Amino acid sequence: MEQLIQKLKQEIIEVLNLEDIKPDDIDANAPLFGTEGLGLDSIDALELIVLMEKNYGIRLQDPNQGKEIFKSISVMADYISKNRTK
Amino acid sequence: MELSIAKMTDILITGAGIVSAIGVGKDETLRSLLEERSGIRPLKYLNTTRREFPVGEVQLSNDEMCTLLGIDSNSQPTTRTALMGMLALKEALEQARLSPDLYQHIPLISGTTVGGMDKSEQYYLDFLEGDSRNEYIRTHDCGACTEMIADHFGRFQLLTTLSTACSSAANAVITGAELIRAGRADCVVVGGSECITKFHLNGFASLMILDRESCRPFDASRAGLNLGEGAAWLVLESSDHAQKRGAEPLAHLAGYGNACDAFHQTATSADGEGPYRAMKLALESVGITPNQVDYINTHGTGTVNNDLTECAALSRLFGEQVPPFSSTKAFTGHTTSASGTIEAVICLLAMQHSFLPVNLRFTNADSCQKPVSTATAKPLRYVLSNAFGFGGNDSALLFAQSSAEPVPAPKLITAEPISAQRPKVYLLSAAQISAQQPLCDDWIEHPEPLTEPLTRSREADYKQFIPPLEARRMGRIIKRAIATAKTAIDTAGIGIPEAIITGTGLGCIENTEIFLDALCREGEDQMMPTRFMSSTHNTMSSLVAINLQDHGYNVTYAHNTVSFQSALMDALLQLRRGAIGNAMVCAHDEMTPSYHALLCKGGFLAGKKATECSVSMVLASDNPGNALCEVAGMRMLYRPTEDERQQALDGLLKEADVTDYHLTDGYPDLFGTCYTSPALDLYAAAHLIKDKPLVVRYSDEKHYSLILLRPCSAC
Repeated sequence: MEQLIQKLKQEIIEVLNLEDIKPDDIDANAPLFGTEGLGLDSIDALELIVLMEKNYGIRLQDPNQGKEIFKSISVMADYISKNRTK
Repeated sequence: MELSIAKMTDILITGAGIVSAIGVGKDETLRSLLEERSGIRPLKYLNTTRREFPVGEVQLSNDEMCTLLGIDSNSQPTTRTALMGMLALKEALEQARLSPDLYQHIPLISGTTVGGMDKSEQYYLDFLEGDSRNEYIRTHDCGACTEMIADHFGRFQLLTTLSTACSSAANAVITGAELIRAGRADCVVVGGSECITKFHLNGFASLMILDRESCRPFDASRAGLNLGEGAAWLVLESSDHAQKRGAEPLAHLAGYGNACDAFHQTATSADGEGPYRAMKLALESVGITPNQVDYINTHGTGTVNNDLTECAALSRLFGEQVPPFSSTKAFTGHTTSASGTIEAVICLLAMQHSFLPVNLRFTNADSCQKPVSTATAKPLRYVLSNAFGFGGNDSALLFAQSSAEPVPAPKLITAEPISAQRPKVYLLSAAQISAQQPLCDDWIEHPEPLTEPLTRSREADYKQFIPPLEARRMGRIIKRAIATAKTAIDTAGIGIPEAIITGTGLGCIENTEIFLDALCREGEDQMMPTRFMSSTHNTMSSLVAINLQDHGYNVTYAHNTVSFQSALMDALLQLRRGAIGNAMVCAHDEMTPSYHALLCKGGFLAGKKATECSVSMVLASDNPGNALCEVAGMRMLYRPTEDERQQALDGLLKEADVTDYHLTDGYPDLFGTCYTSPALDLYAAAHLIKDKPLVVRYSDEKHYSLILLRPCSAC
């Protein structure tokens, strides 16, 4: 799981173009969205949906599902490990 | 300054044409509306793997459209957007009974965002390697599409194209009306056209706003929009002109409003600020009260977000008494850039035949108000039509029954006669990012030589203009837009501009190209939403507005080499009639090495020093004392004859009372060439002007423009 969390941090920095942030700056349990934590928004959520499909073969059809799954990197990693098809 | 207050020039609609999923022509469209036959069906014509999304396709193949139009598709490049546009325009011109010898006096203004994308996505890989379809490289841009539509009928006086995403056609109507009000034209042809492409089908899919079933606008169960396609055109003319030639009015264009939501690139605000302002302006422009509106054709896309926002705006403007409203997108699908005029024609049909179009598939309300859900006969005197676009480019058009009493418009100013009473227009500031040192005028003393076939812009330090979390999603062209805008505003000292008017030939071509490349090479799955969001031409103008929190007038012109001149023309029209006191006019184009290679193959940049362009300039009708020069007038013509060129110059000089002047063809050695490099030419001219008025001329095989500057010593 720790390995997946590290990998996810790297992928998120890359896909969301978070230039000034390093993997170690991200608290895996901090909220990804909103003013605390990374401060991501709805468009980032859409990019994360694409990331999950591309890299882990998980297809979400309803953007609202993302609200639960993208709470934090840990929650996301947990969901991926249970649902990944690749 | 004393200005004569008078009634708005009465603008009549004397011709209308429409093509959409519910029919070719007004008769079929009317039947479908009355018989409640939706045009939403499984995909049939678009060659895509995304077959899970129902759409509103025009039920004709390209070949069938060519046959109807008498076009040999083997002898000339055609795109689906252009073909649909021709079909609809044919109907409008025929109804208005405009004879072709009049066209050379008539401006034609279109709205599109997709332009020639249907062929670009089909032939993109061939452009790169095959070289068998290179004639389609230059049919890609929005302006080329307008030219194809217009050229099928004859030579029109002036051509330009609005590209404000889904409000494009509505804004084309507004620009056309402004030309009539200014006395620049007696008659204009305005409209929009857009076909469904894989590009935006996948783009909308990546934003997760497409419904897999038929859309249900305003219904509690709504789950997104269905893409549609089509075209619609209107012939607008002054009542004098219509009377003189005995043309029958279908309705009046009574008023209009344009405002910017300035909230988010793809989402709409919770309080509906943009829609509210646009509708309010439309009512105010004609001086009627909200309770006089008999029907509203809403934007009503069927996304959760849009419909909530629009209802919030309706409540703010109309209170408890919201007039009957419906979204006809449940019939046609969302015809994106063309929706403004497609829905305008639907409004005209409803007014002529006294009925309220039904909002199909509405059963349960949520917090939105209830739309018209059963067929209702009703005489309609004033009808409002909404069109909102990504980036918060929101517009509303107001139509009045042609038998309605004359419309009082106490706040409006007629442009007649053209006189010295009109406010002068000053160029207060201009900032550039180009091949020269950015955001300064070092180029005057120390010009950087252009040595390569393509010189990209020297970047500024964007950190001082844009916070990092916002900057990460912005392409280079957007950062340049914000940096030049903020610099120009600071220099001019005007605070938030009353209007932001942008010209761009290709928009965010870097992101468009990446999206297109992925689409063509990797297939249609997993397209990235950020790339798509940044591919619309109005991205720069709307992001600048969001950045400045500017809710004022906001449009983008995308007509290849006259994109900037069109934006300037719009600003001059509004400043001169006193609608606004200042405006920021911008021009932005970026260029990638790969797209540069394509444009060289297509014949545009071959043998030239290609560059990129970002210019923002502030114009105002007051000169606080620091103006660079006066912009004393301009002319823009499409395919003019030698005589017409001379007449344009003579007219321009006479109007500004200028006899002694210099003339320049721009500064390509300093600033190079791109679609909007005429903006850099004007920027340079404004700095280099000395004792005499200076005419900045632009001329290519199609377009001709003249801009007259007067030094401030003589202002």
